[in-house]
Amino acid sequence: MKKSSKELSGKIALVTGGTKGIGKAIADKLAASGATVVVTARKLPEEEMEHHFIAADLTKSEAIAELTEKMIHQYGTPDILINNVGGTASPAGGFQMLSDEDWNKDIVLNLLASIRLDKAIVPRMIEKNSGAVVHISSLNGKIPLYQSNFSYGVMKSALNAYSKTLANEVAKHGIRVNTVSPGMVRTTAMETFLEGYAQSISKTVTEAAQQIMDGLGGVPMNRLAEPEEIANMVVFLVSDGAGYITGTNMLVDGGTYPAV
Amino acid sequence: MQLITKELAGKTALVTGGTKGIGRAIADRLLEAGALVIVTARNHPADGNMKHHFIAADITVAGEAEKMVGEINEKYGAIDILVNNMGGSNSPSGGFGVLTDEHWDSDLQLNLNSAVRLDRAILPQMAAKKDGVIIHISSVTGSLPVYESLGAYAVAKAALNNYSKSLSKEFTPQGIRVAAVSPGMVKTDTMDAYLQSLADTSGLSIAEVTQNLMSSLGGIPMGRMALPEEIAELVGFLVSPRASYITGVNYIIDGGANPSL
Repeated sequence: MKKSSKELSGKIALVTGGTKGIGKAIADKLAASGATVVVTARKLPEEEMEHHFIAADLTKSEAIAELTEKMIHQYGTPDILINNVGGTASPAGGFQMLSDEDWNKDIVLNLLASIRLDKAIVPRMIEKNSGAVVHISSLNGKIPLYQSNFSYGVMKSALNAYSKTLANEVAKHGIRVNTVSPGMVRTTAMETFLEGYAQSISKTVTEAAQQIMDGLGGVPMNRLAEPEEIANMVVFLVSDGAGYITGTNMLVDGGTYPAV
Repeated sequence: MQLITKELAGKTALVTGGTKGIGRAIADRLLEAGALVIVTARNHPADGNMKHHFIAADITVAGEAEKMVGEINEKYGAIDILVNNMGGSNSPSGGFGVLTDEHWDSDLQLNLNSAVRLDRAILPQMAAKKDGVIIHISSVTGSLPVYESLGAYAVAKAALNNYSKSLSKEFTPQGIRVAAVSPGMVKTDTMDAYLQSLADTSGLSIAEVTQNLMSSLGGIPMGRMALPEEIAELVGFLVSPRASYITGVNYIIDGGANPSL
């Protein structure tokens, strides 16, 4: 195995939702490891950003082809694809609160966006007979929480199944596909979510966070993750040293998941 | 290969079964990352090519684990990282019917009880520092049993998985991370000898028995066995500060073999 001064030097990475939170931490760590990093999001972040940027709204199916063409033209076929985009704006309060529209939005943001981007990019990885794809999922895909984000958990569970299936199919083409399932992570998106949830149940943000942690069965590490701790796993997974790892779902959850 | 930084500088690591195969690759990897590495096995390695500190012990024997830990503490200080790599099976192939009580006892002792004893001997010093990492090297057979030849071994690994998770729940709040790693098929001397024995008893070629074993797992999407270095790389990651939010997991490294979600 080669040893280079920076383990990902010479690699091209595309990170969706890469301008803030977990996506930004991933982009930063990939760049620090020597990769050329292209991030995509609906708009440029306010603060200056070191990475290459292509604007795209991945909830729009037509945006995928445009993003792909710009990516290939300007930077080449990515060696590394991080499907980080995801989230939910659906109301809390259980299944009766969720409209068809809520469900459809969460399907697109958390599942279809990744499926569509993989369908555009992975065939080019197949042509090169190499590549690494990571789907950023969530512990909620394995531990659903009906009260706070019912549909999100369901869609992440679907994403897990999709990721495994794709991994099985493309292994013979030298492409590894894995999922990372973070537990609760300290980001502004998490803060926003907790504020909204706290309001909907008439509690403080601290109480709301505690309720979610309790709903998960408690967090043995007794804290949220930092985005960098998720990014560390992602960088490891796409490195050559992880060359025998595919079709897995790596939990990074402070021990929250309760089962064997 | 992963850029090797000295991220384990100042740490003392103990690797059981660390003189060959996966254990040796793990010991080498931790050394590269700057740890002081002690390996243990029943016998000193024959090839004399040992760059790690070595202590002979048979931790399948009651009392030996505690004695060994005491000697290590005296000579090297407290243990920060424990890799329970020792394991295996001497049971014959031929399915459930050929396994005697002795085979069951032996596989459980080697793959479960030894780790339990060693963890018990080491946890107090980790708890005192509120810091430590314990890795259990398990196997995909723990959730994907192979009955022809590894029936009791697979059961012991399943027990090890449950035990590892339970330990993590109890001790993570005390600052100790506990995780399991489940390799699929790994190309080691032990594997080669095992395939040879399967070939001898069946009359098939090595290639054929290898294919049969892969098929009994449901096929390996990556189409090959792992290298010991690849298992070591994952362990190296898990014991490092990069894995600071990771505990209570069982990471599968099997080239995609496990077919289930």
